[in-house]
Amino acid sequence: MTTDITPAAVDAAPDGQPKRKWIGRSMKRVEDPRLLTGRGGFIADQKIPGLLHAAIYRSPVPHGRIVSIDATAALAIPGVVAVVTGEDCKAKMNPCMNFGPTTIPQYPLAVDKVRYVGEAVVAVIAESRYLAEDGVDALKVEFEELPPVVDPMKALQEDAALLHEEHGSNLAYERTFTFGEVDDAFAQADLVVSDTLHWGRSAGMPLETTGAIARPGLNGVLEIFCNSMNFSYFVWLIATALNVPSNRVTISPVPAGGSFGSKFTAHKVPTLAGFLALQVNRPVSYIEDRFDHIMNSDHHASDRYYDAKLAVTSDGILLGLDIDVVDDYGAYLQFGVGTHGNALSQGVGPYRIKNLRYGLRAVLTNKCQQGAYRGFGSEVQNWVLERLIDQAAERLGMAPEEIRRKNFIQPDEFPYKIPGGNLYDSGDYPAVLDKALSMIDLEHWRKEQKRLREEEGRYIGIGLATTQERSVFSSTEFWYWFDEPAFPITSSPESATITVDPAGEFQVLLHSQAMWGNSPETVAAMVVAEEFGVDPSTVNIRYADSAHALPGTGPGGSRFTVMVTGAIRGAAKKLQKKIIEIAAHTLEVPPEDMEITDGRVQVKGAPELGQSLAEVALTAYFFALNLPPGMTSGLEEAYTYDHPLTTLPSPDRSDLGIFYPIMGHNCHIAVMEVDPETGMTTWLDYVAVHDAGTIVNPITLGGHVTGGTAQGVGTAQLEELVYDSDGQFKSSSFWEYLVPSATEVPPMKLGHVETPSPYTEFGIKGGGEGGRMATPAVISAAIDDALREYGMRVRNLPVRPADIVAAVQAARQEQKAD
Amino acid sequence: MKPPRFAYYDPASVAEAVELKSRFGTDALVLAGGQSLMQDLNTRRTRPDALLDINRITSLQELQVGPTHLELGALVRQHRLETDPAVRRAVPLLTGVTHHIGHVENRHRGTVGGSMAQADPWAELPTAAVTLDAEMVIEGPAGRRVEAARDFFTGRGTTSIAPDELLVAVRFPLTPADAGWGFVEVARREGDRAMAAAAAQLRLDDAGRVASIAIGLTSITDHPVRAAETEAQLLGQVPTADAVAAAARAVEQQVDRADDVHATLGYRRHLAITVTQRAVLAAVQRAQEGDRP
Repeated sequence: MTTDITPAAVDAAPDGQPKRKWIGRSMKRVEDPRLLTGRGGFIADQKIPGLLHAAIYRSPVPHGRIVSIDATAALAIPGVVAVVTGEDCKAKMNPCMNFGPTTIPQYPLAVDKVRYVGEAVVAVIAESRYLAEDGVDALKVEFEELPPVVDPMKALQEDAALLHEEHGSNLAYERTFTFGEVDDAFAQADLVVSDTLHWGRSAGMPLETTGAIARPGLNGVLEIFCNSMNFSYFVWLIATALNVPSNRVTISPVPAGGSFGSKFTAHKVPTLAGFLALQVNRPVSYIEDRFDHIMNSDHHASDRYYDAKLAVTSDGILLGLDIDVVDDYGAYLQFGVGTHGNALSQGVGPYRIKNLRYGLRAVLTNKCQQGAYRGFGSEVQNWVLERLIDQAAERLGMAPEEIRRKNFIQPDEFPYKIPGGNLYDSGDYPAVLDKALSMIDLEHWRKEQKRLREEEGRYIGIGLATTQERSVFSSTEFWYWFDEPAFPITSSPESATITVDPAGEFQVLLHSQAMWGNSPETVAAMVVAEEFGVDPSTVNIRYADSAHALPGTGPGGSRFTVMVTGAIRGAAKKLQKKIIEIAAHTLEVPPEDMEITDGRVQVKGAPELGQSLAEVALTAYFFALNLPPGMTSGLEEAYTYDHPLTTLPSPDRSDLGIFYPIMGHNCHIAVMEVDPETGMTTWLDYVAVHDAGTIVNPITLGGHVTGGTAQGVGTAQLEELVYDSDGQFKSSSFWEYLVPSATEVPPMKLGHVETPSPYTEFGIKGGGEGGRMATPAVISAAIDDALREYGMRVRNLPVRPADIVAAVQAARQEQKAD
Repeated sequence: MKPPRFAYYDPASVAEAVELKSRFGTDALVLAGGQSLMQDLNTRRTRPDALLDINRITSLQELQVGPTHLELGALVRQHRLETDPAVRRAVPLLTGVTHHIGHVENRHRGTVGGSMAQADPWAELPTAAVTLDAEMVIEGPAGRRVEAARDFFTGRGTTSIAPDELLVAVRFPLTPADAGWGFVEVARREGDRAMAAAAAQLRLDDAGRVASIAIGLTSITDHPVRAAETEAQLLGQVPTADAVAAAARAVEQQVDRADDVHATLGYRRHLAITVTQRAVLAAVQRAQEGDRP
């Protein structure tokens, strides 16, 4: 892997020296040593005296009424302690946290009905997980089966069985937004391209599943140790579900072995663990096994059916976009339709499309619920838009890079308001495209494509995509869908506390569940190092539990690096002021004459006149009489950083406001060979250039791009959560659900362009979702390009080898018939 | 994903293992490399009363090249087939197919006998055995018996091993010096179960005609089979690309594995023809080039 960075214009001071010492420098992760030596402290490693273990009986039927649960044999097994059912949940708790309609309630164990294969029905608590599973095996559960609702289109028919009778329909949500003059745009168009597309259901599939240990503790406090949840944002909602006062629930974050969205607000596992612990009044561990995770997680991802149209002029100007999408949400709607808020945040991509219609129907079916997965639904919109643009380019005889360049929002047009109201903060899309083109020899590949076809009968294709990567969500996107939202939240803060201890060493306290396999500690250490001129390896990072945490939201929507940097910088400024005031008072110089450099506070221009931070810290902690008048002891400051740029939607929703403005961008180019006889593909070249604003750490940003690309390969070619026409789940293991391995991921050339955000500290933008924003689009385009003579068009992801061969065979039949 | 309760035995000799098998019959399962069995246990797809761990039986770990056969003890690890030069010289097709068995980690533990006895429809070694007319050496209370590979595999996951018997070795005929081989597999990812695969071994006469040919197919029905019709069509013919393509079409009718999440029946039919054609052409090329170590 090679990396090529075009530095930000602001990166150098006038004297040519780098303005920053740490931000922008490749630094190994400070998290790695403990993770690589088996000291990660993951949830399954937690040892708690008297711990019991829970296993789950999962529904074998897609839709049915629970008639009876006989636990006699299970309870007779020595070591089985208790059996808990949905009846217990109904009697003793409230429905789980839910941002969808209240008529679609959910409990951690099914109440009255089961609504998908794999839904948790009964929990067995035992002395070991082995015995708990023996108990599950011994349960006798009887169902009255109901007609399965599998196809989202059929779910909307009058005679379809209802998933939630009290909701009255399988249509969970419907709305059409029209921004601009869409009908006029289509009337004026010389060309309208349209397509019917399906983005199949996949999910983040981390090595470590979601797990929680709950322990009834002192003073009636329920302690929950958990690797999921943005706990400081939502602990009160877990408490509400458990019918426990919020000050009697404490969630302690446990580092997670990967999330990719699957641990974002994953509430069912900690809620269930908490409920079970309360039932037996003993500590209980519930850790999903792979079956639990793959079929009953909080977070299957988008499963969308599109009718999409694009209005274009004869010279390739994009006039309008018309999207009609049916999203198969599964059995519950925990996040409402927030995944479509993500799509709307960058609905027109990097292009000057002035008119957008977005019609959404969210449908309930007998499948696991949807949640978050890298991209949170915006990556799907990217794929749809790029599919249409490729089609327009082909129809107009334009090169893919040409039509895109022609429609780019230009660098001098920022900040740029898109149809719908979101704002793009900054960008230089032509620079990103130019950089990508400079890293691959497209002319060579285009010649090679022709030569290989003619001389060797081989099929290679080139795909190119230029897509957005929105970052730093505002919570308005969760509710602007509704005219009368129940809870129109506008906060999504992040906090940090910086302490300089009496010996002058740095502690940083983070206030959310930040460690999901990303690099929160590395970021925090680098920002502290930048602010105080200390070595980042000397900074220690800790995590608050919910009883101590300041407001925080945690990772999600590529927000964490931007937000935690804002929080740390805010705390650093307060702390710097105090340090300077103490030192100035001690040295009897005016504070404005002093600065902090290389871990010292000193007089500007006279560095020999100063104090080390340790000297200042000693004064701060132990020599109160030496402090400036009115100052109190200690050297610790906290800061809560709110979203840097968000506005309310208009009451009539003609403008949704600014809700996702820190806009990254990328260009991916892929060259693939496709074997039309087997449908298998081979990588020949791959370039990914991203602009995530000012880069904090090129190594970790490169990791996000690479990992996101791998997951893009998965979604585009391998991964699918399949329910058959009877509603049976066909992908319950890694034999069926194929996560890409090293051999399926392209060797990549990485490039970066840095267009700083004017609205964030240091100009950083989020980059966590990486390649998944673009990879499905370039794979689809490359396969189409390779098999153009067969009229290949990827309309359904994942595109399996069988699908490619079927398309080739069908085209050959047609050619023969002609 | 925890196994149900089972009794564990680790016999030190074949006799002891056979005695245990006689006692438990179908209620006992043999643990060799554990690459399939441990998953089945942990997911509770199988619930044996007893597990017979044969890893202590050192006599089953032997690999011998005899005058006519390569004899592989049931516990010979798959990794050895791809790395031991003696195997490559004796039966090069075996080395060729082994690379496609899972990943190297699996091959370090996985055994020859385990793969044969597991008899998965997508497994490579059973296909090699059927293609090369290997012999299965089976020991029971009445002593040893030898069974031809093509009679050994009886269905998906089933073999002719009786409940009181143990597979102790597999004998592959030494590959003639002038033979060429080919193996082509298509799987979703490297190391995945084959959607279809074909093994071929053939010899050409002085006129370039096919003097002998064997083609085995993986994953197209519930157990490995020979492509008898294709073999018959090519025998005595000059194996030009066109002739091979035409003969390979005959395998289509042998494909009957139903649709799964990875492959449709129609796709598998097309794939069976493609891999057969490519495996035979690779074998022809090796036979022509005399590509032997």
